[in-house]
Amino acid sequence: MDKIISVNGLKKSFGENEILKDINFSVSRGDVTCIIGASGSGKSTMLRCINLLEEPTAGEIIYKGQNILKTKNIPAYRAKVEMVFQSFNLFENMTVLKNCMIGQMKVLKTDKETARNEAMHYLEKVGMAPYINAKPRQLSGGQKQRVAIARALAMKPDVILFDEPTSALDPQMVGEVLEVIKNIAKEGLTMIIVTHEMAFARDVSNHVVFMKDGVICEEGSPDEIFTSPKKQETKDFLSRFMNNR
Amino acid sequence: MTAFFKEVVDILVKYHGYFLQGIGYTMLISLTGTVVGLIIGLITGIVRTIPQSKNPVIRGILKVVNAIISIYVEVFRGTPMMVQSMVIFWGYAFMNNGNTLPLIPAGIFIVSINTGAYMAEIVRGGIISIDKGQFEGAYSIGMNHFQTMINVIVPQTMRNILPAISNEFVINIKDTSVLNVIGVTELYFFTAKISKMTWAIFETYVVACVIYFILTFTITRLLKLAERKIDGPASYTINEMPAAAEEG
Ligand SMILES: Nc1ncnc2c1ncn2[C@@H]1O[C@H](COP(=O)(O)OP(=O)(O)OP(=O)(O)O)[C@@H](O)[C@H]1O
Ligand SMILES: [Mg+2]
Repeated sequence: MDKIISVNGLKKSFGENEILKDINFSVSRGDVTCIIGASGSGKSTMLRCINLLEEPTAGEIIYKGQNILKTKNIPAYRAKVEMVFQSFNLFENMTVLKNCMIGQMKVLKTDKETARNEAMHYLEKVGMAPYINAKPRQLSGGQKQRVAIARALAMKPDVILFDEPTSALDPQMVGEVLEVIKNIAKEGLTMIIVTHEMAFARDVSNHVVFMKDGVICEEGSPDEIFTSPKKQETKDFLSRFMNNR
Repeated sequence: MTAFFKEVVDILVKYHGYFLQGIGYTMLISLTGTVVGLIIGLITGIVRTIPQSKNPVIRGILKVVNAIISIYVEVFRGTPMMVQSMVIFWGYAFMNNGNTLPLIPAGIFIVSINTGAYMAEIVRGGIISIDKGQFEGAYSIGMNHFQTMINVIVPQTMRNILPAISNEFVINIKDTSVLNVIGVTELYFFTAKISKMTWAIFETYVVACVIYFILTFTITRLLKLAERKIDGPASYTINEMPAAAEEG
């Protein structure tokens, strides 16, 4: 019952459009939750609500027993619940190393020496240590995403949210990034991953959430969802997905 | 033709002190004016891009501040600097029993607030043209708005607007000449003075022309170099050091 994040009755509208209609789910410490669903079903919007990049219209998000929609200190929460984006969002004006140090120094107030060592440690882990002097624009997509993961890890977060971390990558780079994510999953970090990589989702997660039209249509273990889905919508989505591959 | 060059040489020999003094004040006023104007632009730019607050009091204050900034920008962009100079200089005298402002500080003040109005728009444009992802990347690792602006957005904005800053600087070097209406002793002021003493009007103004061009051209080149310096090397060096050695 060690729920680290619970989403209760979450709703989000953009103007007249209700994008999220009553979302309820929770994540335990160490869980790797994959969120799947068709384009436009609201997966990114939900993840962005959890990171408070979007303000929910209704509902609550409970993090360690506190409703973070009521918190005054949003930055402190975000430092604990990190986000990795489809478009990387590395700081263009900084080197790879500085990208992984700046948050530690400015947000966690870590001293420079320690921040540097920590950054090196995580860059090593994602295989980007040789590139510490490069600027983001000099890297490939896969390399950028690995740096972005190191940047998130260097903040020592409780949870990392991934929004389609490989969707902007050429096929040959997808593998290297998924490999890195799998490795950190093994170390027990709590993760919520929005992905279209079904084989990866099945492999890495212990919980799968299928979203459709702004609601959670079905959720369960990877086996339950991928091998014996109960809902017709889930079956349809998965079969369409497999056929399109 | 030889008469022309002889006259130019004569003017330079006799009045180079005036020209140098004029160059000094022109550069002092335009450089300070550009820097202060940029600072005004950065402050107003950061204020104007603060995201909507949920707190109604803060929202109200921001609204008023933004309105004041807009009025400032519109008024100073919408009127000639020559007229502003007269209004500010004689306005001050009007309100202070005829005591006038010291000339050089007055000139710097006028150029600064005039440049600030343009810079406010340049900086705002620079900030809003930065990819939204840069803000989100910073927010997502827990930076607040101020940290995001200082560490991520402003450095990138500065790089992007450097050509526009250079442009403003060049305009200021030239437009400082309008300050001669209130008697500021910049380059144009001395040129006019020399021409009246020598009556070699054409030759004197040709000299001034060349001087202005050398000043503006040098500044343009220097700031181009700065751009390249900020961009850094085109390629990166691979870090060969193993992490173990790095940490020890
Ligand atoms: N800022 C916004 N303003 C208005 N509508 C938005 C906004 N962001 C998202 N939407 C709408 O919300 C719906 C869900 O978008 P969302 O990005 O969450 O889908 P998704 O499931 O992540 O899709 P994909 O798999 O393509 O990334 C879409 O119809 C989209 O147009
Ligand atoms: Mg999405």
